[in-house]
Amino acid sequence: MRYYVQRVALAILLLLAVSMLTFGALNILGDPLFNILGPVAGDVNNPDSIKMIALAKKEFSLDRSLPVRYFIWLSDFVRGDFGVTFSSTGQPPVSGVISERLPRTISLVFLAQMFAVLVSIPWAIIAAARAGKISDRISTINAFFLVAMPNFAIAVILKFVFSLKLGWTPITYMADDPLRSRLFQLLLPALTIGLPVAAVYQRLLRTDLITTLQQDFILLARTKGLSKTRILFVHALRPSLFSFITVVGLNTGALIGGSIVAETVFRIPGIGSTLVESIFRNDFPVVLAIVMIVASAFVVINLLVDFAYTLIDPRVRR
Amino acid sequence: MTQTDLVRSELEPLVETIDVKTHFKTPRGIARAVDGVSIQIRRGQSLGVVGESGSGKTVLSRSIMGLLPRNGVIREGSVRYRGQEIGNCSDKEMQSIWGREMAMIFQDPMTSLNPVMKVGKQISESLRKNLGMSANEALAVAEKLLHDVRIPEPARRLNQYPHELSGGMRQRVMIAIAMACGPNMLFADEPTTALDVTVQAQILELLSEQKRDRNMSLLLVTHNLGVVAGYTDEIAVMYGGKVVEKAPTKTLFANTKMPYTEALLSSIPRLDQPSHSRLTTIPGRPPDLVNPPKGCRFAPRCAYVRDLCLNEEPELEQADSPDHTYRCFYPVGSPEYFERRVELTRKGELVASEGSN
Amino acid sequence: MSNTSVTAAPEDIVVPKKLGFGFWLCVIWVGLMAFIAIFASVLPLKSPTANFLNSAQGRPPYAPSWSHWFGTDKDARDVFSRSMYGARISLTVGFTAITAGFLIGGTLGVISGYYKGWIDRISSFGFIVLLSFPSLVLAILLTSLIDRNLLTVSLVLGLLSIAPVGRLARAATLQYADREFVLAARQIGATNRRIIIKEILPNVAIPMSSLALLGMAVAVVAEGGLAFLGFSVQKGITWGGLIQLGSDASKTLQNAPWIAFFPILMLFLTVLSLNFAGDRLRTFFDVKETTL
Repeated sequence: MRYYVQRVALAILLLLAVSMLTFGALNILGDPLFNILGPVAGDVNNPDSIKMIALAKKEFSLDRSLPVRYFIWLSDFVRGDFGVTFSSTGQPPVSGVISERLPRTISLVFLAQMFAVLVSIPWAIIAAARAGKISDRISTINAFFLVAMPNFAIAVILKFVFSLKLGWTPITYMADDPLRSRLFQLLLPALTIGLPVAAVYQRLLRTDLITTLQQDFILLARTKGLSKTRILFVHALRPSLFSFITVVGLNTGALIGGSIVAETVFRIPGIGSTLVESIFRNDFPVVLAIVMIVASAFVVINLLVDFAYTLIDPRVRR
Repeated sequence: MTQTDLVRSELEPLVETIDVKTHFKTPRGIARAVDGVSIQIRRGQSLGVVGESGSGKTVLSRSIMGLLPRNGVIREGSVRYRGQEIGNCSDKEMQSIWGREMAMIFQDPMTSLNPVMKVGKQISESLRKNLGMSANEALAVAEKLLHDVRIPEPARRLNQYPHELSGGMRQRVMIAIAMACGPNMLFADEPTTALDVTVQAQILELLSEQKRDRNMSLLLVTHNLGVVAGYTDEIAVMYGGKVVEKAPTKTLFANTKMPYTEALLSSIPRLDQPSHSRLTTIPGRPPDLVNPPKGCRFAPRCAYVRDLCLNEEPELEQADSPDHTYRCFYPVGSPEYFERRVELTRKGELVASEGSN
Repeated sequence: MSNTSVTAAPEDIVVPKKLGFGFWLCVIWVGLMAFIAIFASVLPLKSPTANFLNSAQGRPPYAPSWSHWFGTDKDARDVFSRSMYGARISLTVGFTAITAGFLIGGTLGVISGYYKGWIDRISSFGFIVLLSFPSLVLAILLTSLIDRNLLTVSLVLGLLSIAPVGRLARAATLQYADREFVLAARQIGATNRRIIIKEILPNVAIPMSSLALLGMAVAVVAEGGLAFLGFSVQKGITWGGLIQLGSDASKTLQNAPWIAFFPILMLFLTVLSLNFAGDRLRTFFDVKETTL
């Protein structure tokens, strides 16, 4: 019990540290005033500009000190108020923007993970069962190649082959299409992110499986007359899955980063592409909100994976 | 089946090996782990296979059962079970024998049991596959088996994991798994080596009991002569991949022929020796299985070695009774043997009062 | 004798006794890229920025031909020479980033693994905080706030590599710090600094060396990603940037795929070489460990 509490406390501490860093970085290294008002911010001679500057300062609490601004922001943030965007086209609330785009990214990441897991497990089992043989060496080389391809390169290649040359998937994302069609459009980007991680997962699981298969209890299972299939799936797979599951869970955060690239190439309005756009537009609140959400998701997922591990591995249970 | 058939099947060996060889391909060359072993085990009989590490005893038991690795293994000779040749069977064919006719228990119960599977399931698995039981039937039988191997609170243990049990209990679970389908032949590979001394005796008693109750044959592999002394009908001593002496237990101890066996026996510390006596050891190391020495494999370490031993390999010969064979040119009790003993005593290398057991 | 056993014997899995032909091939490729990166301006390459308009061929982009091995882009710039020049920034950033990461992260890791105590707690917490961001997100965030030149981009990526390098260095140091030979050295009066340099570092250097190559691969990919999204060195030619230019407009990608594909090829081969060499090193040293 104490273990759980400790971990949660650490996670909260972590999130606070992350938020401080991000907020600090944005406000110290960047110039919020400039980002809001543009060149007007430096124009101290024009009385209209001065008025606008004063207004902006008041509106965004820029006249207060940094720590105070941080606390104001933090208290708003945890209540779900992410502020308003700096972009000039009206001032939609950030939370609206995010709630509209976040589901797409979540679906994308989810699809990618599902693909990676569903592909890597059988691939790893077959490879482990044929360890050392030619087919295994070939699949190892394949895995290697996949890992060496950066995901933006994969995205470009996939887009070229499937969207442009074969015309199987549309070039831009149609946000108004029905659900099925939208999911289909997410397929290719999900593949982009999922393929390289499938290779990573496969290599890991294969190694674990091979190690497990050398153990004595596998030999004992053979002496019971069990079939090779049953031994692989029931006896060898389960102990080997533990580190696999951990890696898959921990990797989810990295996939969110990968979605940035996929969303950009395939023009999907998710929070990844929004992050990039917002940075180019110097739209602070959006950037801050997205970074915080992503980091929080990361920390929370890691926490959950840790907890799940203690629950599923009977050796670790207290 | 006629009366004579029944009688014959009782007398025919259950398991027989004829000049079986198992060689492994290693980077250094071919290691001849088992190099021509012929043994027979009849129904209800127990054979102890004794030797140092590297003598080939474990490989022998695995060769008979067919559990060798997939690649890099060369096999020769014949292995017969109930008269049928099984030496060249595929894994699939052997699967119908494993569990049902033959079973094996291993040395280390901690690594031999699946750490993430409940104990009950590990037993019932075998029952369901080999005897076609339903899940519930199998669990009920599993509980009874745990009771038979004297594990307290068997019902509770069914739902526990191996790491929740003590070493002795884990070994009993392994025995229960092995006994589950009532096999005719059990291979026990150093079953007591990983256990406390007090537990060792219990496990051996348990094995004996099961063997008696089920009229099961037993092949007990160990490096410890003390273990086989009380629990086997016959003993085969292995060295360098070959059987160097084989005899019924009493005969082996009373009428030892091969000097290696004699050396093994004398290296067992005895309670009636005066305290602080020097323990007798066998000098040297086990032979290189890739390049075995020319001639008798034990010759480099034998106290009674002569020129002939270093140049020619002795064949198996019969001793005073047909069930006692040994492999030595100058065995215990021969004139050359006594000559050498006198020499060694004079040199002070042998204590005069020390005799054979 | 059947070949259908489930267990693969250890002999089945080939354990390399030497680094192997593949390893050296990869080293040669990386060396070649480094050579080109350093000497690009003196090599007989076409100018990467000049426009090679050729009215006889019509409007650019021109497909690959003898005069333009990799073709040209739509401003008639030679893709081959641009790909070669792209190696400069990509490799330099990769190399500098991992070097910085090793120096800082490695030092931190070894110190916290050796001295433990509050240094360890603080730096471990620092590592975890850094690792709480998906690295691309943090990289984008930081590079967007600064002037982006060769040095700063390298430093940002270096910052990101401090955590994984530091953690490995710490773990490796912890493994060795409690071993007997360290205790023995202390008994004869060796100072901590001497112990670290003479006893711990040589042992830690072994797993770190393969991490260096793998880390450089990651850094090159990371720089590529940043460049692709527009966050790498401003006004520079990078592989990621070239790929982006060649793929941003669907028409370009569809009709002149070579503009993007050749830089992809260069990047892929380089990353593959680094990965393979790093992996080879790791298996090579692992084997030695197990025979101890």
